[in-house]
Amino acid sequence: MNNFFLQTLTGLQISALYMLIALGLTLVFGTLGVVNFAHGALFMLGAYFAVEIASQFGFEVAIVAVPILLFIVGVALERGLIRHFYERSHTDQILVTFGLAIVIGEVLKTIYGANNIPFAKPTWGTGILRLDEYLPFLDGAVYYPKWRLILVVVSFSTVAALFILLQFTKFGLIVRAGMRDSQMIAFLGVNITRRFTIVFGIGSIIAAIAGIFGGPITQVEPELGMKLLIPSFLVVVVGGMGSLPGAVLASLIFGMAISFTAEYAPIQQIIIYLIAVVILLVRPRGLMGKKGLME
Amino acid sequence: MTKKSDISKTVSRRSILKAGALGTAAMSAPMFYAKNAWAESQIGNYPIEGDTVMLGFNVPQTGAYADEGADELRAYKLAVQHLNNGGGMLETMTPNKLTGAGILGKKVDFVVGDTQTKADAARTSARRMIERDKIIMLTGGSSSGIAIAQQYLASEMGIIFMAGLTHSNDTTGKDKRRYGFRHFFNAEMTGIALSPILADTYGKDRRAFHLTADYSWGHTQHDAMKRGTEAQGWTTVNNLMTPVGGPDFSQYLTAVLASDADVLVLNHYGKDMVNSLTQAVEFGMRELQKNGKTMEVVVPLFSRLMAQGAGSSAIQGVLGTTNWNWTLQDAGSKAFVEAFQAEYGFPPSMAAHTCYCQTLLYANACEVAGTFYPPEVIKALEGFEFDGMGNGPTLYRAEDHQCFKDILVVKGKSPTDKTGEFDLLEIVGTTPRDVVTYDASIFGGELGPYEPV
Repeated sequence: MNNFFLQTLTGLQISALYMLIALGLTLVFGTLGVVNFAHGALFMLGAYFAVEIASQFGFEVAIVAVPILLFIVGVALERGLIRHFYERSHTDQILVTFGLAIVIGEVLKTIYGANNIPFAKPTWGTGILRLDEYLPFLDGAVYYPKWRLILVVVSFSTVAALFILLQFTKFGLIVRAGMRDSQMIAFLGVNITRRFTIVFGIGSIIAAIAGIFGGPITQVEPELGMKLLIPSFLVVVVGGMGSLPGAVLASLIFGMAISFTAEYAPIQQIIIYLIAVVILLVRPRGLMGKKGLME
Repeated sequence: MTKKSDISKTVSRRSILKAGALGTAAMSAPMFYAKNAWAESQIGNYPIEGDTVMLGFNVPQTGAYADEGADELRAYKLAVQHLNNGGGMLETMTPNKLTGAGILGKKVDFVVGDTQTKADAARTSARRMIERDKIIMLTGGSSSGIAIAQQYLASEMGIIFMAGLTHSNDTTGKDKRRYGFRHFFNAEMTGIALSPILADTYGKDRRAFHLTADYSWGHTQHDAMKRGTEAQGWTTVNNLMTPVGGPDFSQYLTAVLASDADVLVLNHYGKDMVNSLTQAVEFGMRELQKNGKTMEVVVPLFSRLMAQGAGSSAIQGVLGTTNWNWTLQDAGSKAFVEAFQAEYGFPPSMAAHTCYCQTLLYANACEVAGTFYPPEVIKALEGFEFDGMGNGPTLYRAEDHQCFKDILVVKGKSPTDKTGEFDLLEIVGTTPRDVVTYDASIFGGELGPYEPV
């Protein structure tokens, strides 16, 4: 029982990080129709900002400041570069955002070097938690790192906040309407372009949250963005391009698969790709993708 | 105009034979007296044209072993500086034919490649340096898989490969090549040197769980540690192979938590080791009680760079082995550390040390052989016994091109014990060279011919 519970918990926390990165990716694709390969670089940028700010002013300041900084970066990026590619093909979008990711990675490498820089956790997140004291069904002492549990909570809270924003607010209603038919929304006198810019900024905020809370786990280094982008992109494809619930579901499937196959090395290293192949063969649009989209 | 009859009169058959014999003797005489010169032919980039000799430094500037690569490169540049101008270990190495005036009168120059910590990129980069830059010697590494790939390529192309940081038994075992040489120690030596100290420190009734980097080095490191610790009475509970460069090891650490193991052996190196050790500490593996004992973490291949990356609070008390440490007080180590610190402002790593030594050893072998002709340089290195390079008396064993020397067992210092930023490892034992010397035939492999096919 303990073993199963621990593996489930590990699966959840692996999912948590994929989910945060995939969420931003799929949000931008779902609303703007842009395949943003620079999203991993934004996550990495968030982690670097967080290291700098946390070491200078404390972790709590980083939690507030980094999302604001990344929002500004995101808006500037959308206005300065991405919007010029809305009408271009997905191949062009991938090329330009991939190039941007490389540029961001190389700039960070020039400033900080190729090596990982330590990212200390705050004292309130350090140490291990004895879970059997809270969960009576566990047999004997069962420990888990506090920070990873915090990551799970933060990740699911972010998902919930995004759902609320899109489903239950006027802003969300306009954005969702814009996703259906942006021209019609513009005819109705709504400045949908500005809303879409904000959506890109929100995607960047989610990347910042991933960087702040994921950085202490993954370590911070200039190849980190690319390392996590590929599985996260796979999450988006398997979940269905542009589908937020799909990204959540696919993250959970991937996280659990990685956790439960840890002891079977040959399968473990390819499991997410195997799952992707099977799901896309059976359902080319992904688990919860819209019919006809990227099919 | 000379008539045909006149020619036959002046140039008789006998005089042609005489002239031919004299000419042959005259042409062969200097070749006969020049050392081994009669056997020399074009191999790799030999003969060297011009008054500069080019060396190729192929190091990981990106990827999981970038830390080591950066330090290796610093050491190579320092070695070139010392070869051309004297200084450093040129003053302490014995026997030594290097004078600080280049190699065999030629100025030493170098080109640099990035292996990207990937075997295919390393081979591409090495091939470019061999074909375009005409290097006479290739050196570098920081990963055994990459070192072995380069060693095969260099051997095929007739270029001597002086391996940098590579610790797999395979490099001088089943994959050994006539053109490849390793100064660094290996996994087998780690197993022999570390296991008795682990048993003395943690007891003989221990249950070990291994996490192993899934490539040549990790596999041989796991095998050596398993054999070594089991001979001391330990039980190996499980071994999980982990991909190189993975940012998160939580799924494997969960398996360790769920097992009844009370020791975690991390057969990881570079960034992987920094990540896995930091995360193991995060998972409480330095404080948990298992089987009535405090859980321990072991890092068989330890380096100051990795200790720095993980931080002294994570590494304190962790045992491992190392090829060399900058705090050693012998004349060779001091000369190297002083020169390195003067140049870069901080002490060198063991990766830097082995690369520096390899460059000097190659250069010295050329001086001993009196030529850059690879087969003769190889013969000068095979069975070469030397001292004054930081590891005590050392032998380049002819049978497998592996260096044999004393092995250092080290322990991570606690934040309160360290005296400075780089004072992270404490030497807790030295296993003599005789103890870590094993039979050259146990890992198989063939060196191959002196002249590449």
